[in-house]
Amino acid sequence: MIGNDLVDLKLATKQSNWQRKGFLDKLFTPKEQGYILNSNNPFETVWLLWSMKESAYKAFLQTHGNRFFAPKKLACHLISKNTGTVLINNVLFFTESEIGDAFIYTVAFTKNQDNNFLSDCFEFDQPDFETQHSQTYQKVLTAFAYKLKLPVAQLKIKKNIQGVPQLFLGEMLLKNSFSLTHHGQFGAFTIAF
Amino acid sequence: MEKEALITALKKIVKPYIQDEEAFENLSENTDFIKDLKINSANLVDVILDVEDTFDIIVDNESMEKMLTVKAALEIITTKLSEK
Repeated sequence: MIGNDLVDLKLATKQSNWQRKGFLDKLFTPKEQGYILNSNNPFETVWLLWSMKESAYKAFLQTHGNRFFAPKKLACHLISKNTGTVLINNVLFFTESEIGDAFIYTVAFTKNQDNNFLSDCFEFDQPDFETQHSQTYQKVLTAFAYKLKLPVAQLKIKKNIQGVPQLFLGEMLLKNSFSLTHHGQFGAFTIAF
Repeated sequence: MEKEALITALKKIVKPYIQDEEAFENLSENTDFIKDLKINSANLVDVILDVEDTFDIIVDNESMEKMLTVKAALEIITTKLSEK
């Protein structure tokens, strides 16, 4: 299973105030709060940990039950500046992050996935929700069409009841694990092989 | 507090975070914060903190876990208010 999450840092500055009273306590475990408060760049660490949690949660949701909002149950551990693990109900995910000035992008995967994935980040022409959504879908469908050697017109994505996007060939559900993310000016997809 | 008044108060709280105006205009008990209103998941915590401030209640972790829809939020707020 694979999941991804991207945070547009400029937009995150506008959308969220991580120093708001209660914010860190509701989202982060004591260990994670330690990473943030001891960091040279707490803002960056907040969004790194958040993207780790979100990407692992998105991978988790593909095979396990119902949606929930319990950020502290997604427990992060940092291995290096840009790699780590997230433990969710005894399922362990490994994460790899790209930390830039404009965005932080994380891919989370289970051990058996062992790094075997294709991932692509891109910038949108327009940052409105509709553009983000349709361009992200188009990008991943094009990548799948190329990989599976199928005409892109026959592929489509539909979300299941949990909000997890799934790939269809006509009406047939394909089992490929993939994940989509977009925030502000940037989007990304990742596909498991 | 009457349900209608609660929904009005909740609408005011979520307004700054929504990304789908139409779903917001049609907000009902069945509205999902993320799927329908397209609230960024990181902003869901702001909704919860605002709910705590507005109603002067504490939304514990167990309640927060379920707070994905208007219906769940109303149930949690009503329960917490009745415990005061």
